[in-house]
Amino acid sequence: MAYITQYKYYENDGASPKDENWGSYQYVSLADVVNNFMLMYAGNHSLVNNEERFKVLFHAKRGIQELNYDAFKEIKILQLNVDDNLRFVLPSDYVNWVRVSVYENGVLRPLTENIQTNWSSAYLQDNNNDILFDHAGNALEPGNSNLDLDRIRGSKRSIYLNQNSSFNGLEGYCCDGNWYFDYSIGARFGLNTETANINPTFVINKQAGVINFSSGMSNRSCVLEYVSDGMEGGEDTKINLNKMFEDYIYAYIEYAILNSKLGVQEYVVGRARKRKQALLRNAKIRLSNIHPGRLLMNMRGQNKWIK
Amino acid sequence: MLIFALKVLQMINSVRNTVLSVLNKNNYGYISPSDFNLFAKQAQLDIFEDYFYQYNYQINKENARQSGTGYADITKGYSEVIDSFSVTANLAHIATNTFSVPTELTTDSDYYLINKVLFVDGTSLKEMEQVSHSKITMLLNSLYTAPSTTFPAFTIEESTLTAYPDTIDEYEDVKCQYIRYPEDPKWTYLSLTGGEPAFDSTASDYQDFELPLDDEPDLIMKILQYAGMSIREIAAVQFAQGAENKDDADQK
Repeated sequence: MAYITQYKYYENDGASPKDENWGSYQYVSLADVVNNFMLMYAGNHSLVNNEERFKVLFHAKRGIQELNYDAFKEIKILQLNVDDNLRFVLPSDYVNWVRVSVYENGVLRPLTENIQTNWSSAYLQDNNNDILFDHAGNALEPGNSNLDLDRIRGSKRSIYLNQNSSFNGLEGYCCDGNWYFDYSIGARFGLNTETANINPTFVINKQAGVINFSSGMSNRSCVLEYVSDGMEGGEDTKINLNKMFEDYIYAYIEYAILNSKLGVQEYVVGRARKRKQALLRNAKIRLSNIHPGRLLMNMRGQNKWIK
Repeated sequence: MLIFALKVLQMINSVRNTVLSVLNKNNYGYISPSDFNLFAKQAQLDIFEDYFYQYNYQINKENARQSGTGYADITKGYSEVIDSFSVTANLAHIATNTFSVPTELTTDSDYYLINKVLFVDGTSLKEMEQVSHSKITMLLNSLYTAPSTTFPAFTIEESTLTAYPDTIDEYEDVKCQYIRYPEDPKWTYLSLTGGEPAFDSTASDYQDFELPLDDEPDLIMKILQYAGMSIREIAAVQFAQGAENKDDADQK
């Protein structure tokens, strides 16, 4: 079967979108993976025999998911403005985050994940602090907890050295050219670098599917770099994997099937496991693309003095 | 090639003559054309079904490295015979995503075994996977493996094939490659000549055996067994059984 023509690659045969096939040669489709596996690794004279195709499909998808989490380095990036409730709704294919940044004045400023929580759920309570229930016996919940309300209103203090810091705007006094502050006398011996960041902070509420920001992020442009699982919203035709991992995915499927199959000798399973692991290492090294050209700029700085 | 074809075309007459010859040798008896046709059908079906078991047996021998290649490739021979009964046809559309399995009425032949079902997706063919009824509900509810037009599936219930996903719903959407049953053999005759029916291969309902020539001895032995039972001649049955067992043993 011939590959696509140059015209199809560059112009999509005149159809829209034009960029449909750009870069497609790096990838092999899920359909090809399953087809090739059934053809080459399953059959009367193969280790894998009498297995349903849907099992192969399942393991192929699971393998692709695992690769997407760390090995592929296929980072997705989404830019959105943060709303008035200081929330950024996680993308529909979000699995884990890589970096959250604020984008302004043409500069990306990475944000720090707050080591404290900035959100919580809450129940309504009466004057005696007893929880209030509805007629169905469910606890009544307010729209926002006090923690959330304070954060949204901007009245929540931060341990970070940003505008919500307890000490932000407090004045000290200058003596012999040095500034002194009341709060630090006899108490502060050095900077806590973990919280020494002027930018707003964030905490991810995974269950609610949002990133909660500290005040100061409202209506600012947020850039989220994240990883997905490569399932492309369940659209089988769009699922693919990098060719560097093609041999690995066959080995992974073979191992996964042999490992759960009754009566397969342990040495056969062991061999399949070792092959899978070795191929994964090879693929990761290949994809890391370490070569002198990449290291050159870093190495040029080797004699620079670090103050 | 033509000679071979002619021989094959007249195999049923040759088989009948041999059977009658054996039966008449010791004046055991005689079987009528209609009885012969009944026995011939049974014998052919017996041998036909045995191909699949033999094919599987040979595959196991190959896996045990007890089978060779080239002229020693027995599997290939069985595969070729089975393939001679292969038919590919569009399945008749019945209702929403349901199609008729191959039948005499819809595809001109009943199926012995459905080898593969294909979804015609524009210009490409996608192989549909047969899924058991114990799995199909879970499969449909599975986020990862639910049937799609890329990985379609089907189930069979009675004479109905249900395609998944249910967008596979047009006539000519589904093709099937299957192994049909051999046609029932029929030894036809024109008239009685000297008390014997004269073979007539030009009759409209004439049907020769569809098995290859090398199965003639097997056919004869099997028909002899049925005929021996019919005329209550145990010697004929034992003779045929013995010959058949020896033949089977030789082929292992």
